[in-house]
Amino acid sequence: MTAPFTNDPIPIDEIPQLTDDAFVPVDPRYLRAALAGTAITAAVVIIGGSILAWQAEETLVVAAITAGILLLIALSVVVRVLEVRRLAYQVRQHDISMRSGVISHRVESLPFARVQHVRVNRGAIERGLGLATLQISSAGPNITIPGLAEAEAARIKLLVTQRAGMDIEDVDAEATESPSAPPTIPATASPPVAPFTPSAAPPSAPPVAPPAPPAPPAE
Amino acid sequence: MIDLRLPQRQSPLAIVFLALRILRSLGIAQLVIAALFLFRAPLDGPLIFVPFVVILVFGAISALSWWRYTFQLVDGELIVVKGIVRVDRLTVPVDRIQSIGIDQELLHRMTGLVKVSVDTAGSSEAEFTIDAISRPVAEELQRLAVTAAPTSTTPTTDAVGGPPSPPVIVEDRVVFTHTPGRLVRAALTMWPLTGLIILGPFFAFGEQFSRQLDERFGDLEIDTDQFVWWWIPVGLFGFVAFSILLNIARVILADWELTLRASPTSLRRTSGLLSRTSKASSISRIQVVSSAQNPLQQRAGLRTIGLSTIGEGDLALIGCDDDQFDIVRGLAASSSHISLNRRVHPVEVFLAVRNITVLMTIVAVTAWFVAGWFALLAYVVVPVVWFTQRRHVQNFRWGLGSELATFTEVFDNSSRQALLRKTNAVRVTQSIFERRRGLGYVHLVTAAGTISVGMIPISEAHAVRDTILAAAESDPRPWM
Repeated sequence: MTAPFTNDPIPIDEIPQLTDDAFVPVDPRYLRAALAGTAITAAVVIIGGSILAWQAEETLVVAAITAGILLLIALSVVVRVLEVRRLAYQVRQHDISMRSGVISHRVESLPFARVQHVRVNRGAIERGLGLATLQISSAGPNITIPGLAEAEAARIKLLVTQRAGMDIEDVDAEATESPSAPPTIPATASPPVAPFTPSAAPPSAPPVAPPAPPAPPAE
Repeated sequence: MIDLRLPQRQSPLAIVFLALRILRSLGIAQLVIAALFLFRAPLDGPLIFVPFVVILVFGAISALSWWRYTFQLVDGELIVVKGIVRVDRLTVPVDRIQSIGIDQELLHRMTGLVKVSVDTAGSSEAEFTIDAISRPVAEELQRLAVTAAPTSTTPTTDAVGGPPSPPVIVEDRVVFTHTPGRLVRAALTMWPLTGLIILGPFFAFGEQFSRQLDERFGDLEIDTDQFVWWWIPVGLFGFVAFSILLNIARVILADWELTLRASPTSLRRTSGLLSRTSKASSISRIQVVSSAQNPLQQRAGLRTIGLSTIGEGDLALIGCDDDQFDIVRGLAASSSHISLNRRVHPVEVFLAVRNITVLMTIVAVTAWFVAGWFALLAYVVVPVVWFTQRRHVQNFRWGLGSELATFTEVFDNSSRQALLRKTNAVRVTQSIFERRRGLGYVHLVTAAGTISVGMIPISEAHAVRDTILAAAESDPRPWM
């Protein structure tokens, strides 16, 4: 029988907060994958610049242009390194979040109940490093988490796929049965409504089963 | 009683529509070239039969297509079989259909038939089209599709947990119908030059159009000595009046008897004078409710309402008054009483002015070499941006309850609202500028649009994000 519809206001401090310190950084090996493309570009510029400087009459001009391009590449390397260091994700009972961006910070969260499909991609460089990229798609935006260890990507994919097909009550029941389960979001039949008081400091909700630390790089 | 469980074939007259569609698929340009070729070089001898053979082949292909094309509803799935050489069997679960549109173009009106477009979320265009069927069959299909949409208000099991009970069919009720007077008011309060849209197709044939004008009026000689200054305002007035008349004609043709009907699970919009169009969408698939008013519409108390749905089922309702807006918001499961009591930080004005000043400085420096001192005219944009951004910040309001709603006004005003449970993702962003001031943006992303609020304190943005997530994750009601 369908439960009667209720719409009682709930206190804002019962809402779990997505805390910044619970984000898990991506595998450090991803830095190598992220810089591979830049390294190839730099190599092409150096080789091309050297050939041109050798052949051209205005050696100094060609050398200056090449140095300028290399400086831009070096700047992009710095930005890329900072970007990879900031890349992080957080898996909770009901959603997955992704933190990214250096110049513009960005945190995107996607509830499992809205997931349409999940995909794991492994490019050539990622395969060599034992990494994978997880792409989670909804009817709206997608979340793409690169630089995950293969096993970790598979685990998160399985978790997301399972949670995407479950009812909210089932997710909460499963979490209650688990002794190490984090506190659950109150399962109300209606969304929490006003009063909305942003000044109230909600308690933090620890993420679900923090993934194991990344495996050491294969030597 | 129409039994859609049995394979249905289109009306035999659909052969004509199928032939027209095949002709269209060949390309208008190719058809024009073929017609010109036949006109300029008439066929002699046995070749004279070529057109007849072509027509015969077209007729045969169209007839075979008609004969092969069947559709039926079996076990909650719409099954379409089509194709001559390669037979395609298309199966669409009825609860995945986003909207069913019923169109009655001029040729359809003459034959008493309608065209049905079925749209699912998986494609940007209509999934498939049924060219010509009778209106009762089309409406039965539309009714069954929108009734199949998941909704918590329709019980799926009986009290003892028995098998699913059949959905309760409730007839549509008319929410409102716009009178011709209302349509004329709606047309008059649109931007005066909107009517020029009608002339769009003429400009597509620009060269031929201008040649025709040249042939007709090319000999006219204007005596500049007789020029008087008031020709300019009179000419402008005539131009605007002409555009307004065109717009009235456009609105009358497209939105004649604009009617919104509602059932417990769906909304249906019908309108049109020569070509009658019907578009239905289930209520649960409506993601964002929006409205817009220009200054003329504000004075007349009219607005345009938009209901954004997943796929191609968006509904636009022109010329609605405040009461109708409240009714539509209520039907779309949105609250009409959400308190828009929050504002954004005024530093947004400074950011906009700073950005435009930097941009215009680059433009002015670049233009200096060409235009000299006139390059400084680029800075005229800066006070305009300052004024519009200041008005935007002064008038922007937002509120959070069971939905996130925003309202903004510069010259036009617009509002957007979406139920929190429709959220597909939430995003919090912070640029360097915003980080220095402890501000940020929060974006609620649905499957049919985004509602953004910024600049607000980052703690507030986080609290909004957490509230939205908790609502989307704890509400068991269907979101689409």
